Amino acid sequence: MFNKLEQIKHLPIGFGDIARYVIVPGDPNRVPIISELLDDVEHQGRNREFNAARGSYKGVQVSVVSTGIGCPSTAIAVEELIYIGAEVFIRIGTSGSVDGTAEKGDIFIATAAVRDDGTSKQYIPVEFPALANVEVVDSLIKASEKLSFNSKVGICQSKDSFFGETEPSRMPVSDYLDSKWKAWQGGSVGASEMEAATLFTLSSIYNVAAGAILALETSDEETIKNMTSIVLESIYHMEKERNNE
Amino acid sequence: MSKKDGVEEAIGGLLDAYDDDKEAIQYHVQLKKGDIADFVIMPGDPGRVEFIADHFDKAELVAENREYKTMTGEYKGRPVAVTSTGIGCPSTAIAVEELTNVGARTFVRLGTSGAMQEYTRVGEKVIATGAVRYEGTSVQYMPIEFPAVASHDMTMALKDSAIKNNIAYHLGIVQSKDSFYGQHNPEKMPIAEELKQKWDAWVKGGVLCSEMEAATIFVVGSYRKVRTGAVLLVAGDQAKGESLSKEEYKDNMSESVKMILDSSLDIEVEE
Repeated sequence: MFNKLEQIKHLPIGFGDIARYVIVPGDPNRVPIISELLDDVEHQGRNREFNAARGSYKGVQVSVVSTGIGCPSTAIAVEELIYIGAEVFIRIGTSGSVDGTAEKGDIFIATAAVRDDGTSKQYIPVEFPALANVEVVDSLIKASEKLSFNSKVGICQSKDSFFGETEPSRMPVSDYLDSKWKAWQGGSVGASEMEAATLFTLSSIYNVAAGAILALETSDEETIKNMTSIVLESIYHMEKERNNE
Repeated sequence: MSKKDGVEEAIGGLLDAYDDDKEAIQYHVQLKKGDIADFVIMPGDPGRVEFIADHFDKAELVAENREYKTMTGEYKGRPVAVTSTGIGCPSTAIAVEELTNVGARTFVRLGTSGAMQEYTRVGEKVIATGAVRYEGTSVQYMPIEFPAVASHDMTMALKDSAIKNNIAYHLGIVQSKDSFYGQHNPEKMPIAEELKQKWDAWVKGGVLCSEMEAATIFVVGSYRKVRTGAVLLVAGDQAKGESLSKEEYKDNMSESVKMILDSSLDIEVEE
């Protein structure tokens, strides 16, 4: 199904450089923070917003590659990563609260995403659901419980305009933004971020697995590391299950 | 069992339905609190209700009105019920709303579907993780960008039950449509091009099978904060011109009911 790309135009890595499991943060500066929890880390380089590293966790090879902000650059990263062999994607990101009940540092595991982005619609009509892979979601929930984090589980919203969320009143389409925001609240959407919808949609189309874990209302290093430890534990268990251990 | 037939009574029932008093008999499904188990299996066809309830350890008919037929009972000590939705998302949304009003907390659709992939074969069961919202009802609840997604714990319970019962299953996205004949004879429709373009997109997106109710169950379920899931038996394949015989259909339906009933044992009873 996957068409061969002429070349890797954007990522700083190529064939043989990628692990089966890839952690995809938005921020290139978070790649070294996440990599601190890996053994034998190799920093592979950076081009534009795409920063790449590879290491291992309990013997399982893991890559970390940033996507940049937003679905357009995320789609490019995901396409090129699949082309060079990535099979399981877990986004680590930050997010805003939608219903106002979140406390700083709360962790959110996404089961699906609202497709309030433009990119995924250039792949498949909007009626198609942006879903995380159920096995990835399940292993994230179990890893989170094992490490005693009280993570929330639910639907996140993926938007294209950051300031449209944080300061909707100054946008020419403020009424539109407000009414949609109310709908997401009514539908129990638990987190607002900017990349999951395209990551999930592309993962269905290309038959790879994807998930996302998000920090609510915070971007401090401690929360990023907490999420990383959940993700690494989930990757370790997925790999064990894959090998029927 | 209650059934209303007089116009006056029906209008009275409608006013009840507008009332916030959830103790009232619900207008369309003709049920009140206490009439139904928290775990409800939802076929489309009212003619399939009794067949499903035959798999319970005990069951009684509690209401029948329009396309909504409800039987409630027990399976291995767990309260379970079955309510038909009728064909399509409009009548399905009414069922989910009214049943939630009277205490239902988990909805698992059991339906038939048409194959959309080379590898989804007639007789196989599809556990839906989510649905394509190619229908008109759920958009009167939530903007179209919102995902129609089944509840994670229900999906996992169905999957575990399939494995325990040795049932071959697929796990993935299904398509919910409003026009049955638009799927089966798209070239006859004035919007043939759109129908064919979208169908191709769903197939390329890995959608497993086509049906008519799941998207609204999932979206209304998210809004009403209830648990949802769906099992679709692949009953036909229009591309290959295949369909199940009557006997095969019954056997496969039976397997699907068993799979859902066993999954109910993993779901905590909610009063």
